[in-house]
Amino acid sequence: MTSAPERPPLVRRSDRIIAGVCSGLAVHLGLPVNTVRLVMVLASFAGGIGVVFYAWLWIMVPTAYESARRQGRRPASPIAPAVSRAPGRSDDGRGTAHAGAGAAAGGAGGPGDDRPAAEAAPPPWLRLQDMRYAKEILLGVALLLVAGILTAQLLGVDVPLGTLIPAAAVLGGASIAWMQLDETRRAGLVDKTKANQAGGWARLVAGLALVVAGVLVMVSGSGSWEQTWLALLASVAVLGGVVLVLLPWGLKFWRDLEAERAGRIRETERAEIAAHLHDSVLQTLALIQRRAANEHDVVRLARAQERELRSWLFDDPGKDAGQLSDRIKAVAAEVEDLLGNAVDVVSVGDTAVTEGHAALIHASREAMLNASRHGGGTVSVYLEVSGGRAEVFIKDRGPGFELRNVPEDRLGVRESIIGRMNRHGGSATIISTSDGTEVRLGFPAAQPEKVPPVQPDRVQPATREGRP
Amino acid sequence: MNSMQGTGNGTPGAGKSVRVVLVDDHAIFRSGLKADLDPSIQVVGEAATVEQAIAVIAQERPDVVLLDVHLPGGLGGGGREVIAGSAALLSTTRFLALSVSDAAEDVVAVIRAGARGYVTKTISGADITDAVYRVAGGDAVFSPRLAGFVLDAFGTAPADIADDELDRLSARELEVMRLIARGYSYKEVAKELFISIKTVETHVSAVLRKLQLSSRHELTKWAAERRLL
Repeated sequence: MTSAPERPPLVRRSDRIIAGVCSGLAVHLGLPVNTVRLVMVLASFAGGIGVVFYAWLWIMVPTAYESARRQGRRPASPIAPAVSRAPGRSDDGRGTAHAGAGAAAGGAGGPGDDRPAAEAAPPPWLRLQDMRYAKEILLGVALLLVAGILTAQLLGVDVPLGTLIPAAAVLGGASIAWMQLDETRRAGLVDKTKANQAGGWARLVAGLALVVAGVLVMVSGSGSWEQTWLALLASVAVLGGVVLVLLPWGLKFWRDLEAERAGRIRETERAEIAAHLHDSVLQTLALIQRRAANEHDVVRLARAQERELRSWLFDDPGKDAGQLSDRIKAVAAEVEDLLGNAVDVVSVGDTAVTEGHAALIHASREAMLNASRHGGGTVSVYLEVSGGRAEVFIKDRGPGFELRNVPEDRLGVRESIIGRMNRHGGSATIISTSDGTEVRLGFPAAQPEKVPPVQPDRVQPATREGRP
Repeated sequence: MNSMQGTGNGTPGAGKSVRVVLVDDHAIFRSGLKADLDPSIQVVGEAATVEQAIAVIAQERPDVVLLDVHLPGGLGGGGREVIAGSAALLSTTRFLALSVSDAAEDVVAVIRAGARGYVTKTISGADITDAVYRVAGGDAVFSPRLAGFVLDAFGTAPADIADDELDRLSARELEVMRLIARGYSYKEVAKELFISIKTVETHVSAVLRKLQLSSRHELTKWAAERRLL
């Protein structure tokens, strides 16, 4: 036990047969999981010690998930702890529980060797949880047991069925109810999905009924019916009294639990927001202060931060990111970062990006670069998709240029925009006046295949209006 | 960010001073905006919450209210609630919505409440001055983004005869909206379509009216769906 701090924490693990106690114990002690399981089973025959010990660990030791959640509450951000200090941490109590469980585990498992957390991977044929029918196998074992008992009876062995059946009923009912509790702890209480709560309640009630019936049969076996009846009545009365006394406490406890859980969710959210703000906004503000002399840099930083924050606040993370507007916006952001001039994107309608759109996106990027570089001010980008046809307009307010004055060897406009669009069946038009320049790109709806006959139709607008 | 494309073609109201109330919960933004506005614009009042705004507007009866979409106080309705609370003055006092938010539901909600336009807070001093005069003169102020919202909400197909007049944009209105969304100023729109600026303004006002009055099912559905944009 002296080396306990170096051990992996004792948690119930997910590779489980019943509740993951043995595998958790095995990892904690650094023993092969099968050895632990065998010891546990053998101990169960020694007057039921194993069962009691198992049940105790089941109750006291948290699952790996619960434990991780508890650890995970501390956010990574350096400023977050100040925000997320939860009132009345219960970590200390939990810590002692750990130590106690650890001590007991050490005692039971024998002197553990100090192997590091070698996850003694059991041979595949023993990984019960990987077998999809673990429950069925357990059921089969139970049925075999019943069959064995029946056979023994047939063979004349005196089996005390009168005690055995109620006892089995009690045990079975209790374990059904307990498993439900564990299940609830793992899923229902945590994220409150409540999806299978009805089934959970059914199981709980069934378990309870089994236990009650078992106890009834056991008790009634020893006395007369009437006596049993009286006893039952008395116990119900006592139970009622106890419930009456304890109910307010129970309700209060439940309400506190609810409040605490809601608080914890809030804390987690706040911690996440704090961490995000720290990583993004505060860093940017620090940068802006250091670069205060350089207006260009300040504007660029502010724009980039604005964009980032906006997407974090307003974008639906579940949204499919493969839309054309997303790509155009991404390209605009890139140009903005590169050259420092704002690029405003307005989009109407949207479509999924197909392979053919690559040309449109590239041409848009080139046009934005030109507009930002030569226009020298804000660039307006408008994307409209209707009926699958996509159009992009890129407008700046620069001094404008004459396409025919652009030297032949400058490929930016002629090749990257007009040529590219024409090659891919789209169109490109450039309108330039002294008030600014607008590049108009059009791309037809995706067609099953590029059919030559359509070609003239599609090229025509470009050649007709290709020059200003 | 040239959210407001009115630069240079505004009709600064012939020397007549415009009285303005600023409503924004950020004092820094209010003082910055005050400094940016043209000296011919007279700021007669400021407010930081819904209640203050309604009181100040009722008391001062300004020509134009520059109204932040997101405001504390009231029932949580922000700018929309201020307009609703000042409904009696809507014929004389015009509201211009200001926002950092691009969220369609905020913008459309405040426009439908009665605002005459919407601009983003990154707008330049000259542009906001121009927008104030334009709104004071009874015109609508559409930023490219608002025009984009409108096109999204009403669809990009022109109206059929059979349609309810309020539920569709006419072919001309669509053209105007498209050009504004592309970053054209009113003057440039007029030049492009060979119409007068006055006609452009008429079209924009008509679109604003449709945006405010249309009970088009798609519009409300769209606003709800596009909560995140």
